[in-house]
Amino acid sequence: MKCSLAAVFMAILASCQVVKPYQRIYLNDYEMRPGYPGARGFEQYVFTIREGSSGGGGAKTSGGCGCN
Amino acid sequence: MIATAYASFGQLNKKNYTRKKLSRTDVGMVFSYYNQNNDHSAVTGGTGTEDLQVYVTHLALDNVRDSVRTVHFDMGFDVISSASTDNIDFVVSSASKVDARVYTSLGYERPLHDRKATWGMNTSFSIESDYLSWGQMFSLSHINEAQTQELTASLQMYFDDLRWGRYQFDGTRELVYPVELRNTKWFDRYRRNSFNLALGLLQTINRRMSLGVYPGLTYQAGLLSTPFHRVYFIDDTERVENLPDSRWKIPIGAQLNSFLGPRWVLRANYRFYWDDFGITAHTFGLEAPVKVSRAIALTPFVRLYHQRGADYFKPYAKHSPLQEFYTSDYDLSKFSSGATGLGFRYAPYAHKRRSTFKALELRYSHYERSDGMVANTLTLFVNYDKGQKPPP
Repeated sequence: MKCSLAAVFMAILASCQVVKPYQRIYLNDYEMRPGYPGARGFEQYVFTIREGSSGGGGAKTSGGCGCN
Repeated sequence: MIATAYASFGQLNKKNYTRKKLSRTDVGMVFSYYNQNNDHSAVTGGTGTEDLQVYVTHLALDNVRDSVRTVHFDMGFDVISSASTDNIDFVVSSASKVDARVYTSLGYERPLHDRKATWGMNTSFSIESDYLSWGQMFSLSHINEAQTQELTASLQMYFDDLRWGRYQFDGTRELVYPVELRNTKWFDRYRRNSFNLALGLLQTINRRMSLGVYPGLTYQAGLLSTPFHRVYFIDDTERVENLPDSRWKIPIGAQLNSFLGPRWVLRANYRFYWDDFGITAHTFGLEAPVKVSRAIALTPFVRLYHQRGADYFKPYAKHSPLQEFYTSDYDLSKFSSGATGLGFRYAPYAHKRRSTFKALELRYSHYERSDGMVANTLTLFVNYDKGQKPPP
């Protein structure tokens, strides 16, 4: 499982293309932004409180009680 | 003529790396309402109401002072109405029913000399009646020459104090235990420190696809138990929740964003999580923003989650009194959950003016957990841009 995931990851990296600045119209679109921009952020914060896991590109992992 | 010649000479000798004045401020405002309900409150030992409402107001400012420096400031105010914390002292509608969380942060970011790398720092502060937290973050990012690969690293540190009484101005500062357990001093510590190392690789695959990989490492030490959580045992005795003094967490997340056709975007993410409390978790999320016009996008989304419970969790009155660590907090139990919802975004094209409305987002999410919890979140995000009047 781990080996196949690593192989897929390496294959994706190997297939990367050079993209010129004038070709970035899709990549620069708001909906293509990485992470959880805009209204998505608060939902991620709730998940870190209501579930046992956190981190990995989501909301911050501490700094509040969340004990209600 | 001499002055003009001197000025021209100065310009010729300037380096390529110059600071240009273009001060603009990006303003983001979030208003959110959250409610949940279930009958597994940790305050009452894994049984009893978890009815909760939270009203969130948050303001974030990113001030691009010139072509080099960016200053970030944000502040927020949450009003929390919790039926479960009302049961700490069993006095219904007591002061613990309504709480407020106030938080703020201030950050600074600027590029290094080659302009391919950026460093930043951020200081944060958060306060609730039973919680006070100071945070400090340092970050570094680097983008390659072709601007197709970005590496980021950040170290976040939080220093928390779990004593109750922050809004009492008579100097009271103490851990608050359930009312019937206050004749024992359960903990001699009240601090919780967290250190998070978050790494990121954002790789452009082609003109329409990017991949992000986000490994992390977190270490927490101090009082990790919540002092007003009850635990009931099989012999009918009762104690305060007790968890280990340290916790290691290892998450790794990946996000693949693809622009399919002229109007459709697919955002897929997966995260694996492990910690030494015994929790392993898998999260899978899928969002499909559809641009129904140049200014409007609709985003249906779904999120699936499964976690293996912590070794220390057991339900109400199932713990053995011989156990060293114990909790009946269902957030640490084995469960699956699903969230689904819809987002709406309106972002009209506008010429830059002194104050430019950029976007409005409305997002609704419905969440269900296999232990019976149901929650709803409604969020409004408003974004505009404020800056100098552009030259004619």
